[in-house]
Amino acid sequence: MLGTEQFAALADPTRRTIFELIRARPSSVRELSDQLPISQPAVSQHLRVLREAALARRTSMGRRHIYTVDPTGLSALKEWIDTTWNDVLDAFVDAANHEADQKESKQS
Amino acid sequence: MSTTTATMRATDEPIEPVRKTRDVPLPPEQAFNLFTSRMSEWWPLLTHSIAADEAASVRFEERIGGRLIEITNDGQEHAWADVIAWDPPHRFVLAWHPRLEPAAASIVEVRFEPTEQGSLLHLEHRGWEEFGTEEGTAMRDAYGPGWDAVLTPYLEGVQDRTSSPA
Repeated sequence: MLGTEQFAALADPTRRTIFELIRARPSSVRELSDQLPISQPAVSQHLRVLREAALARRTSMGRRHIYTVDPTGLSALKEWIDTTWNDVLDAFVDAANHEADQKESKQS
Repeated sequence: MSTTTATMRATDEPIEPVRKTRDVPLPPEQAFNLFTSRMSEWWPLLTHSIAADEAASVRFEERIGGRLIEITNDGQEHAWADVIAWDPPHRFVLAWHPRLEPAAASIVEVRFEPTEQGSLLHLEHRGWEEFGTEEGTAMRDAYGPGWDAVLTPYLEGVQDRTSSPA
């Protein structure tokens, strides 16, 4: 149950907090840094990772950059979770079918 | 300006939890047991584990507060989840956090509904899609550090039902 870019991006607690903050309200690097015990460059680095994972978007508002959530990343995460559980449940049903077949052949 | 605002608001659209159903040719008791107690017999470890080809088995600790653990060839343990509801053969709920700290867990709920052919398995994986929203925070508060409030009554109930150790 590992490794999409989005999952990895959100695994970092600080990055997750930044994601929560921009999901609540589009924000600049300065606004985020003011709310966190980390520097603006550190915030920028986290935002870069979120952008690369399509979880955050950067928009220009005049001379400032504003960061918002990018829904593309969450959709990709959902697809990966969906596929993963499909694989797991397929394996379970195969095992259950095998079990049921064995029961039948014992009875006949 | 209004276009930018509209773009920003578009991210508020809710994403649905992942929900799956499967027909299972076993009655709930056997299906539940196969899924949990005998998980190591069928879970696709090679492709769905932390250690991949070094993953040897999974262990499902069948009780509230138990863990779902992956064990590697050299005996290392990786916890995937904590059992937060346990109601055999009907339902169990996991706080799902492979490679994450427990506070970041999402919720996996599995139910077995009896049918004529055996069972209908329902799986819902929720909480990850609420990440960063008020609902998600509230849910995590219920299952995160507030776990003690959820788990303690169950654990006390279990202790009451079993004979006390000497």
